Amino acid sequence: MPLLLRQIAAPDVPMEADNITPDRLTGQGAADVERLALMHGSESRSIGDFFSATGSYDGIIDLQGDDLKRVKFIGAGMSRGTIRVEGDVGEHLGAGMGGGEILVNGNATDWVGPEMSGGRIEIHGNAGHLTGSAYRGASVGMTGGEIMVHGNVRNETGNAMRGGLIAIGGNSGDFTGVNMLSGSIFVLGELGIRTGAGMKRGSIISMKDAPLLPTFSYSCTYRPGYMTLYLLHLSRVFAIAEEYLQGSYKRYCGDSVELNRGEILLYAG
Amino acid sequence: MSENVKVVENATCTFCGCVCDDMILTVDMDEKRITKSKNACILGKAWFAEHYIEEDAPVAMIDNRPVSMEEAVEEAARTLVNARFPITYGLSDTTCEAQRQAVAITDTIRGNIDTTTSVCHGPSGIALQGVGESTMTLGEVKNRADLVIYWGGNPAESHPRHFGRYAVTAKGMFTPRGKKDRHVVLVDVRRTPSAPAASQFIQVKPGKDFEVLWALRALVKNRRIDPDIEEETGVSLETMEELVERMKNCRYGVLFFGMGLTMTRGRHFNSGALLALATDLNEYTHFVAKPVRGHGNVTGADNVMSWQTGYPFGVNFSRGFPRFNPGEFTTVDLLAKRDVDAALIVATDPASNFPQAAIDHLANIPVVCLDTKATLTSKLAHVAFRTSTYGINTAGTVYRMDDVPITLRKAFDSPFPNDEEILTAIRKRVRELVLARGQARGATGVSRAAAPLQ
Ligand code: SF4
Repeated sequence: MPLLLRQIAAPDVPMEADNITPDRLTGQGAADVERLALMHGSESRSIGDFFSATGSYDGIIDLQGDDLKRVKFIGAGMSRGTIRVEGDVGEHLGAGMGGGEILVNGNATDWVGPEMSGGRIEIHGNAGHLTGSAYRGASVGMTGGEIMVHGNVRNETGNAMRGGLIAIGGNSGDFTGVNMLSGSIFVLGELGIRTGAGMKRGSIISMKDAPLLPTFSYSCTYRPGYMTLYLLHLSRVFAIAEEYLQGSYKRYCGDSVELNRGEILLYAG
Repeated sequence: MSENVKVVENATCTFCGCVCDDMILTVDMDEKRITKSKNACILGKAWFAEHYIEEDAPVAMIDNRPVSMEEAVEEAARTLVNARFPITYGLSDTTCEAQRQAVAITDTIRGNIDTTTSVCHGPSGIALQGVGESTMTLGEVKNRADLVIYWGGNPAESHPRHFGRYAVTAKGMFTPRGKKDRHVVLVDVRRTPSAPAASQFIQVKPGKDFEVLWALRALVKNRRIDPDIEEETGVSLETMEELVERMKNCRYGVLFFGMGLTMTRGRHFNSGALLALATDLNEYTHFVAKPVRGHGNVTGADNVMSWQTGYPFGVNFSRGFPRFNPGEFTTVDLLAKRDVDAALIVATDPASNFPQAAIDHLANIPVVCLDTKATLTSKLAHVAFRTSTYGINTAGTVYRMDDVPITLRKAFDSPFPNDEEILTAIRKRVRELVLARGQARGATGVSRAAAPLQ
């Protein structure tokens, strides 16, 4: 039986719940779970003040509530297991996670999976700024794992990303893949402006045409071999049109102010 | 005018980030007014001329009812200590000494501290952390700079003496002929009153600064740029190439940038692109970059915050140690998300200039406010203190926009206490309350960083 955490009280101020991870809850009974600490603003409270726990952890945590928007750091640092969330979640979801899976049936906000190194995050709604990014001041963002967002994301998706996969079903904001070092970002909808600014390596793929910076130059139009493999992988989660699988892509290389080894691929029909 | 007149030499104007320290003020001591401010620019003259002290205003109020200072300090301290997510905001128009006390209070109550930097050059702060800064003092610019570029700012109207004292007509050791020894470029989206002072004006299409800066960076690195850049940005490839040649071949180049860059789409990436351009140019010559800061001591706020917490703005102490995350811990965002349950506002008036959602929340929470005059914020405040004006009635330290500390002289006394005195009193009381609460809980309750301040 999964461990069910149902919200019983709404936080008045931001809450940091980095204890809500499989790693911390393994082997704990419902009563023990309720005694674990979380931060409500500057005060240390226990999970039981805001959530009722039932069942016991068997690999899955179910988190449900009407006001989870202020709950930050859900699944931070997790290495295994699954967290299923019903509702909108707060910042830093799955921050630095190394394994396991987080499924959100709702929206997420800024900082989904920052600096994660493995595992999987799937958001059924939208996410905010800085999905899969480096924290301010850090030079490397996400290094592995995958983030799938069915809706839209905002700016700086994959900032300084060095590995892994980010796929966005809707549109992305500006500076997608900024300062990217490696890895892959798929945006099935439209890209914002200034995609890939400062990128060294890595691939950014979109199914729509996009304005590019003057430091990106056109290389060729072709059918990259890996595209079919990736799109088939994505088709388990997103509806991928047949023509994308068969189509060719315009390749632009950049960013020329950096190594010029990154690529942006735009579906050409 | 009375006979009782005092002349204060080498006084400092704290109206803008130039912090000119060569004012000669004539003070009518009976009227308690400054009647003449020699050397001040039009903004400085207005700043001094409009200064008056409302002597019969109460020193402190609780819910708009006059109270004693002690009562107000007690109520302010209790309000802040009882909050779970209190914020401290403002701080750019006060002395470094007061700023330091505000940081100590926030640390003790495990609150969130942010300055007006977050609504002006905060993006530059993020960019500095990301790409670094090739920096200087304005004295160096005066003595050495032979290429001066202003990007996204209108100093003729916002910092009137910037040209004359430091960067355009100023005569220095290696620039004895002033403007004749310099090439001055103004880059902006429209022709402003600063344009006539410049040797060259480059007009960029609105929202295209990043593209132009990025193309300049590419050209500095000898990369190819397509001539259709003109269509997109409004600046021809030829103009860019010429500018790049000029930048590479100058002796000492400086890039000044304003809020036209930091507050338009792209924000910290715009500042970052400009800082990176300055860094790139150091392959060829000496090149520096500097934000042109607005408020008198906003630079001091950055310095004090960085010195005390490690970060310039948007710092949170909820967990007992400082964390920096603009967007999450910046005031407008926190208020708009209604994440805050009390506020300490020092020397600024967010109720008059914040987005409506943020103001609405400010009206719903207890606010402690320190200001030299009645403001919209002081009116909605739970506890409001009336303070003396820094630079006129209060001495102390401020930082000029180039991070040079300047000591203030006071011209005459005010009946009101200054920010530092009030904040120190609040800090002491806050500390007692937090310690008492900690003892009741059997813990220390005070984070260690707060302890050493006497
Ligand atoms: S330039 Fe600024 S600091 Fe100098 S006198 Fe004018 S307003 Fe005051």
